[in-house]
Amino acid sequence: MDFSLSKEQLMIQNMAREFAEKSILPVAQQIERENQIPDEILEGLAGLGLFGIAYPEEYGGGGGGYDGYALAMEQISKVCGGVAMTLSAHCMTLSTIMAFGTEEQKQKYMTPGCIGEHVLSVAFTEPSTGSDPKQLTSTAVKQGDKYILNGTKRFISNANWPGTILVFAIDSVTNKPTAFLVDKWCEGYSISEPWDKIGMHGGMLLDVYMKDIEVPAENILGGPAMGYPILQLGISYGKIGVCSITLGAMLSAYEEAMKYAREKMHRDKPITKFQAVQLRLASIASLYEASRWMTYRLAWLANNVKDPVQFAKEAALTKTFVGETVIDLVRDAMAIHGSYGLINDYKISQLWRDSIIAPQIEGVTDMQKTIAAAVLLGAI
Amino acid sequence: MNLVVAMKQIPDLQQIRFSNRRPVLADVPKSFGNIDKNALEAAVLIKESYGDGKVTVVSAGNEELEDTIKEALAAGADEAFLITDDNALDDADSSIVAQVLTEAIKQLEDVDLLLFGEGSGDNYSGQMGPRVAKLLDLPMVGYASAIEIKGDTAIVVRTLEDVEEVVEVSLPAVITVQSGINEPRIPSVTQILKAGRKPKTVQDLEDLDLGSDHKNQVVTIDILAPESNRKQIKVNNASQLLDALKNENLIGG
Ligand SMILES: Cc1cc2nc3c(=O)[nH]c(=O)nc-3n(C[C@H](O)[C@H](O)[C@H](O)COP(=O)(O)OP(=O)(O)OC[C@H]3O[C@@H](n4cnc5c(N)ncnc54)[C@H](O)[C@@H]3O)c2cc1C
Repeated sequence: MDFSLSKEQLMIQNMAREFAEKSILPVAQQIERENQIPDEILEGLAGLGLFGIAYPEEYGGGGGGYDGYALAMEQISKVCGGVAMTLSAHCMTLSTIMAFGTEEQKQKYMTPGCIGEHVLSVAFTEPSTGSDPKQLTSTAVKQGDKYILNGTKRFISNANWPGTILVFAIDSVTNKPTAFLVDKWCEGYSISEPWDKIGMHGGMLLDVYMKDIEVPAENILGGPAMGYPILQLGISYGKIGVCSITLGAMLSAYEEAMKYAREKMHRDKPITKFQAVQLRLASIASLYEASRWMTYRLAWLANNVKDPVQFAKEAALTKTFVGETVIDLVRDAMAIHGSYGLINDYKISQLWRDSIIAPQIEGVTDMQKTIAAAVLLGAI
Repeated sequence: MNLVVAMKQIPDLQQIRFSNRRPVLADVPKSFGNIDKNALEAAVLIKESYGDGKVTVVSAGNEELEDTIKEALAAGADEAFLITDDNALDDADSSIVAQVLTEAIKQLEDVDLLLFGEGSGDNYSGQMGPRVAKLLDLPMVGYASAIEIKGDTAIVVRTLEDVEEVVEVSLPAVITVQSGINEPRIPSVTQILKAGRKPKTVQDLEDLDLGSDHKNQVVTIDILAPESNRKQIKVNNASQLLDALKNENLIGG
């Protein structure tokens, strides 16, 4: 068992840290205020190969694996969760195409995504459901060798950027969820104003309206009626992204707590003299370490998925732990800050708002536990 | 254009912890000094503007160098020439390292320009460039803030404390660079992953012809500023202060 990072992994981590500190940090407040990522940031990430880091070179990727992806995402998110969120939704889509696409589909849809010309999206959630594929209302009606898509998708990340969107809809032939590769901004595609969400600003969330969008049958991913297994595995890869983003928030809260505790004075001595503060710092450190190694292990597993069902369980368990733990960790970091933590000038206030997002997305925590338990009990 | 850059492996300064006011160096990952990275970037930029050529990094250090060198190879170096030894090079005296680097450089063909950082990231003694230039009997220009190649010469801007000097030096030459000369590039994922596959020559220190006295080590006695004992005399008002200063013979009575 070797838990040390290789030189290449360390270099990827350093590269992401350096880019985040040099290029994202100076505009982080602006992103927070305006809920918009400047184009130069996305171009910079693309130039470094971060849009396709996990994927093979033959599809335009960097070949850095999910381990490299997780390490880089953590560093980016530490500086700006919204930027990492954009990459995460994009990469979840790439992973799904990688797992289920034909060779032709991979060449066509992954390559522009991996090199950062396209920002990809997944559209599953609808106004009436985010957890239950059986309740989907979007339709895909077969007409000759085409499907006509109609419906509304809710809370779709990256729906504003050009690229491919993977749409889940009930197809008229099988009456089951089927996944379609659709070009955003094609005829019949439109979006809402961005939702004004609690945190992770910059990671843009929009509703997508589909009005008689024509999609050739060859754009079905993985075959008709495969929507549910595609979603399950795709979202399992997606959890590496969400967990890494969460790690970044934890690392930032950890640093903020250490810094504040060392600087804040009480009768001429830093508040680290109080055992209560020491215990909170130790707790923060242990929660971060546990989350970190669980996430890195999930990323390592993802490099070589043998059994998608077992992988889905591991992803659900990791997301359950990391998604809930960040709240405890940030709570401790907040406590150390006293009332200053409530002031928006302090980063911990932003982390507080960001941290509640992880347990609520890509399947809420209860759904993660439901999935894990179903696998544990042999029901899936 | 064949460019050689000398880079020194040092502990990653951002990751050093302190315990009892001393740095804990065990297990700290290795990296190159920032100014060395500027020297490399300068070489890569010259190569790129020239259209062809090769950037070779020379470095002497312990075995970890074989991993550390990937940083330079990812950041644009084409090849590496390494001299390694278990421990003899870690705290070796500058004069020894200069001999080692010189012997390495002599084995490279048709070198047009040698670039060094003005000082290393750890000791910053600033000796290596001048020493190697002397040993190779080459002209040397220090503290470059801009370099332009014109035919067989380099036009170098030297930014000094209160003047800026522009000098011309014939090639081959040694130039040491300042940190302001450029902003080193951040290597991409692909460059990082391909670094390990670039050509690399590794030579054992023992195999170099250095004579017998190459074992001089620098011994670090202390890293803290000398302590000065303060008297900590407390005063309550100006006249007490005057008395105290008089008692210490600091002002006339
Ligand atoms: C920042 C962000 C980014 C997002 N990006 C995307 C995206 O790119 N694409 C996309 O498709 N969606 C996206 N979403 C939507 C998100 O994935 C869903 O909102 C999320 O999965 C939860 O769905 P819901 O809100 O409809 O909750 P619901 O499914 O309505 O669940 C509500 C509650 O009911 C409970 N519940 C529901 N079903 C069950 C069950 N079967 N058993 C037990 N309890 C149950 C859950 O515990 C939950 O607490 C995003 C959301 C956010 C906030």
